[in-house]
Amino acid sequence: MRIEIDRDLCCGAGTCVLLAPGVFDQDDEDGTVILLDATPGAGRRAAVEEAAERCPTAVISIT
Amino acid sequence: MTQTTQSQESENRLPRPFPTARPSGCPFDPPAPFAEARAECPVTPLRYPDGHIGRLVTGLASGRAVLGDTRFSSLPAGKRSPVMTPGSELSTDALPTGMFVNMDPPEHTRYRRLLSKHFTIRRVRELRPRVQEMADRLLDAMERDCGPVDLVEAFAKPLPTLVTSELLGLPEEDRAEFRRHVDVLFSLSSSGEEMRQSMTLLGGMLHALIGAAREDPGPDILGRLTVETDLSDEELLGITIVLLIAGLETTTHMLALGTYALLSHPEQLAELRADWSLLDGAVEELLRYLSVVQIGPVRVAAEDFEFEGRSIRTGEVVTVSLPAANRDPLGFENPDVFDIRRGATRHLAFGSGPHQCMGHHLARLELAVGYESLLRRFPRLELAVPAEEIGTREMMVTYGVLALPVRW
Repeated sequence: MRIEIDRDLCCGAGTCVLLAPGVFDQDDEDGTVILLDATPGAGRRAAVEEAAERCPTAVISIT
Repeated sequence: MTQTTQSQESENRLPRPFPTARPSGCPFDPPAPFAEARAECPVTPLRYPDGHIGRLVTGLASGRAVLGDTRFSSLPAGKRSPVMTPGSELSTDALPTGMFVNMDPPEHTRYRRLLSKHFTIRRVRELRPRVQEMADRLLDAMERDCGPVDLVEAFAKPLPTLVTSELLGLPEEDRAEFRRHVDVLFSLSSSGEEMRQSMTLLGGMLHALIGAAREDPGPDILGRLTVETDLSDEELLGITIVLLIAGLETTTHMLALGTYALLSHPEQLAELRADWSLLDGAVEELLRYLSVVQIGPVRVAAEDFEFEGRSIRTGEVVTVSLPAANRDPLGFENPDVFDIRRGATRHLAFGSGPHQCMGHHLARLELAVGYESLLRRFPRLELAVPAEEIGTREMMVTYGVLALPVRW
């Protein structure tokens, strides 16, 4: 699993941080997403997929 | 009416007006015509009060798609409310700048980024002890009162007012007056004149507040914004109004209506009381099941384009029904059943897209702390009147109960 994010479109909702802490974090200055781990293990797949699905501006893509 | 695509069966029906009447005896269910509309098509023609024919979105996937697609613009030009609610006759022309709910990216993004830092998960988690303290203090006062009391006035209204006032840095002595104006602006019974008056007085209070923050900036959001950004007074005014509107009414009515819903499902309430690990799931299910933002979000098509196989024309007004989307059988099994174990996280109660509620973590915190503290304090909490005597807010943007008399 490889994660990419488009931070320009991020609205800082922080839903991904709630669902997959350790993979995503939120910038203290503007609330936007920080990708902590672009290649998390398979065990995180379900959480990362839910984060991608629930991201309000769909900025998370998984390959 | 204008027919766009004759081949689409649903488009040939007479456009519906936006329904607001709740089914009798089912205060938690959305108006029945939403389900009929959704069964035809998740996007159907909608007649607005001035005769404009636009669209109504009742499906979960379509609702998320509309709210995430900025060709459906949030700019005020051409936007209409699908119903005449109290206050909807107030002109939006005179709104201060800085009301980022009425903007599109990239302007919207600028404001959002300046504010998001105050609503991150980390920041909201730091607020928990303070929110708990506020809830406890209100419950102490309620307990001294012996009951019955109106839960709306005693708890559901003051808790978000305290939280929001503190976040914004509103001095304690101004809070009662401030809430009074907000009440007038959201009340069913206010006249246009009363609303204009309250708007002016509230504007004056907020201007004074902004002036004070500039002179002596505190650690609150307004104080920080005056130090850390170059926002003008007018922009700060717009931002403050948005935070107030978003932070007060919604949370108040979720707290009261949610308590009513829990009391109406005593078996699940007993399960929750026995196992508080069910709380976060219960909050999500209440958000889905009740979806108190019942009128809008509203968008206006900024260009002609194809959307889910339909031709959308520039200027067409599109209203997403969040209560309808959150009862979509394609999104939720047995959607009309209240089930705190559902795991219903993919709902639209906070909207979606770039305008999704910025305070959603804070709202969840206030609800979780609010419900748990209330239910723990009063193990025998019950309605103090028969359910049929509890009036609801059918014609307001935010659905809820008018009052919730409870005893314990």
